[in-house]
Amino acid sequence: MSTLSARPVEDYTAKDYKSDLKPIWCPGCGDFGVVQAIYRALANVGRPPHEIAFISGIGCSSRIPGYTTAYGFNSVHGRSLPIAQGIKLANPDLLVLCAGGDGDGFSIGGGHVAHAIRRNIDITYIVMDNQIYGLTKGQLSPTSRRGLATVSSAHGAMESPVNPLLYVLGYGAEFVAQGTPADMNGLAKIIEEGIRYPGFAFINVQSPCVTYGQEDQMLKAQKATLQTLESLSHNPADRLAAMDLAQAYGEKLYTGVFFRHAKPGPTFERLARERQDAQRSTVKSRADVLNVFRLKKP
Amino acid sequence: MLAGLYVGREVPPPAESVDVATTNPLSPGIAMNTDLVIGMAGSGGDGIVSAGESLLTAAALEGYHGVLTKSFGPQIRGGESSFRLRVCTAKVLSPGGSLDLAVALNWEDFLKFGAELPVGGQTTVIYDSNTNVAPDRIPLVGVTPAEVIPVPIEQIARETGGSDRAKNTVVLGLMSGWLGIGRQEVIAGIRKRLAKKGEEIIERAEKAFHAGLEFAEQHPLKTDRLMAEPSAPTAKFVVDGNDLCAAAAIVAGCDFFGGYPITPSSEIMHFLGREIWKYGGTMLQAEDEIAGVGAVVGASFAGKKAMTATSGPGMSLKTEMLGLASIAELPLVCVNVQRGGPSTGIPTKGEQSDLFQAAFSAHGDVIRPVLAPVSAEDMFPVTIEAFNLAEQYQTPVIILSDQEVGQRKETAEPIDAAAIRIIERQKPTAKELEHYVRFRFTETGISPISHPGMKGGNYLASGIEHNEHGAPTANGEMHSRMNDKRLRKFDPLKQRRDLFIVDGHADAPLGLISWGSTAGIAIEAFHLALTQGLRVKLLVPRLLYPVSEQVYQEFFASIARGLVVEQNHQSQLFRLLRMFVDVPRGIEQLAKSGSNPITPAEVADRLRQISLALQREKHQQPSEG
Repeated sequence: MSTLSARPVEDYTAKDYKSDLKPIWCPGCGDFGVVQAIYRALANVGRPPHEIAFISGIGCSSRIPGYTTAYGFNSVHGRSLPIAQGIKLANPDLLVLCAGGDGDGFSIGGGHVAHAIRRNIDITYIVMDNQIYGLTKGQLSPTSRRGLATVSSAHGAMESPVNPLLYVLGYGAEFVAQGTPADMNGLAKIIEEGIRYPGFAFINVQSPCVTYGQEDQMLKAQKATLQTLESLSHNPADRLAAMDLAQAYGEKLYTGVFFRHAKPGPTFERLARERQDAQRSTVKSRADVLNVFRLKKP
Repeated sequence: MLAGLYVGREVPPPAESVDVATTNPLSPGIAMNTDLVIGMAGSGGDGIVSAGESLLTAAALEGYHGVLTKSFGPQIRGGESSFRLRVCTAKVLSPGGSLDLAVALNWEDFLKFGAELPVGGQTTVIYDSNTNVAPDRIPLVGVTPAEVIPVPIEQIARETGGSDRAKNTVVLGLMSGWLGIGRQEVIAGIRKRLAKKGEEIIERAEKAFHAGLEFAEQHPLKTDRLMAEPSAPTAKFVVDGNDLCAAAAIVAGCDFFGGYPITPSSEIMHFLGREIWKYGGTMLQAEDEIAGVGAVVGASFAGKKAMTATSGPGMSLKTEMLGLASIAELPLVCVNVQRGGPSTGIPTKGEQSDLFQAAFSAHGDVIRPVLAPVSAEDMFPVTIEAFNLAEQYQTPVIILSDQEVGQRKETAEPIDAAAIRIIERQKPTAKELEHYVRFRFTETGISPISHPGMKGGNYLASGIEHNEHGAPTANGEMHSRMNDKRLRKFDPLKQRRDLFIVDGHADAPLGLISWGSTAGIAIEAFHLALTQGLRVKLLVPRLLYPVSEQVYQEFFASIARGLVVEQNHQSQLFRLLRMFVDVPRGIEQLAKSGSNPITPAEVADRLRQISLALQREKHQQPSEG
């Protein structure tokens, strides 16, 4: 957020971002860790809750805005990104967060991701990827592994999974990271980095479903297998190296920043503001717009 | 009262002096025309529409009133293209009936428009003699036009303008000569349009125009088509529905537009893409229809007035988002420039067949206001009203325009933006923000609305049912109370009598109802019927939904018989009314699918038949006493 540095950083703590609503999540759900990490990231960034808009779609994870003190919007399935973009364009001074599950982001709402990336609107998009549909009780999701047997794939999934990391890197996302509640410090840190990145930031979170998920996806298993990208000496400015590492999605659990553009591009809202500033002086009042209909002698 | 809205009692005297000729003061005995309809068709590259626009502008500059409608085939280049231009000495409300002058650059394209370009016994038919058809063999079946004149249009174009691209300019010369309008203005228009192309091109175009003019002067028509002097005050504006809708949105305070290209609504997006930045707003061409309205929902949540525009298929896609805006109680305006449906239907031609969809396409118990403009000019007050209703009632509002209103050009009265009233959404007071409750149960059902950035106003907006604080709930009692709040808030809207045009004798036994683009036809038919001595009254709803039971009950009170006129196959307004109102059994329907024209004469004729039937019925009844 480029506007942040201009503001006095107030002394916020994680508690200031936690609402009174009791989460509906199952005990042990990875999403508890995600929301805690978000509280911590927001406290470090230090924007007052009323200057934050937090938008989600539908799914277990999409309940998350209600558990914060920000202005929340628990919208419809798959459409959090269009709504979030409308909010940011209407008021670029807001800090806009967007969140949802892998079904919300890469199945029903998959078509919106590419365009949010193209526009490079300064939004932080957090996908809580659990490779299953939890809210509707255990069906196949777009990131489920091939062969997975679920209530909707009794004989095993015949599709290969979407790779969210390669997907967004392929469309040119400028900030791409992955985290897990199995490493709370790491997760809070990349969320904070995503928020601070001056443009569209994508964060995939391996957030296990304790009810319908697989053993090897649980936090305990993740702790044993995760490797930080830092430990691999990955250079986050190197997009091709990031794509190379991202190919291991589903096989290896890499956490940290895959890609951070060394020279952030212009955001849509900045270009919009420049266009407004350049053109505003040509009119005096809104009624001027009617002049185009005036009959004029050629 | 809706600012600038055309109200019944202000209806001008019958523009229905159709075919009524006045005497030419200069040469007594020669009739002069007050109202003419010109139709022209050719292929897409012929510059048909630009000729129509030139003629309308020229006529308007001379003080005439007019309506120009355009109709196209589905092709992007080539294909068939046509216009209908009605020129009148006084204000007109509809494209009129059959043609007085028909121009066919080629017969194949002309015939594709069928009843859209109706040739009758009074029509003068002009066609390009390069079609090698003898005047007595023109391919119009079952009709003998008043006069048929072959003109070597293409040949003149080549000889004078240097290419067949000057054909439309030759026709402008012909029209200018035979109608006696627009000589100076058409030439000035040509100069302006071709200014960048250099003096040589301009000179050629002028030559082509003069050659057409000369041809007309050398070939006087059997039926004189000279226009009489304008009788009504000169029009100061030329508007078209889509552009005016966009402009009205800016005047209303719209700061955000999100949409997706779709025929025939895209001009709204184009206009705002050019203009909205000057007023501090933003236009987003979204990746799809859903994202377009989604961004609008977001902008509204962020506190800004916002609009989207689309047509049938896009409307279907936006439906879920409109439901979200209803339950989250967020203001927005959604324009549906209707076209033939279902599915892709006829993208380039208008229809009024999305009324059921506008009223009922949401799942759940929902009311959202639906407004319809009766003309392109009417798009201004209706769009302003749509924003006002959206902000006042915190709801999506649908404007049901259609291809005809959206894309037609018409002369219009000057618009006084200073006279309109703009309504803003009710925001919470500082005191209310101390313990803010977003969806508080209030007497009116309307709760003050905050937006991000407003300290103390933080809340959760949601598509999920919620309590007063916005917290999700599955409680039946709360759901019932919230439904009641969201529906009850529209009760005062149904009392808005200024959203209806009512005209005629209050105790008339005959009723005429119409809406949207066909309302202009009905209004003209109504005046025609009055001059024919029928005891008829007129009702045109600009507010289509929620149905205002009281307004209709009062209208129906004196009525034994009547007619509902609309451009769709199922008589959608008639059926909608029957859902909410006790409609008298004698009400009939005149309903046609899109691109099958309805004319004022036809409507008046039906009214006369209905009136006769009513009289017969009365005679048959045994007399009292």
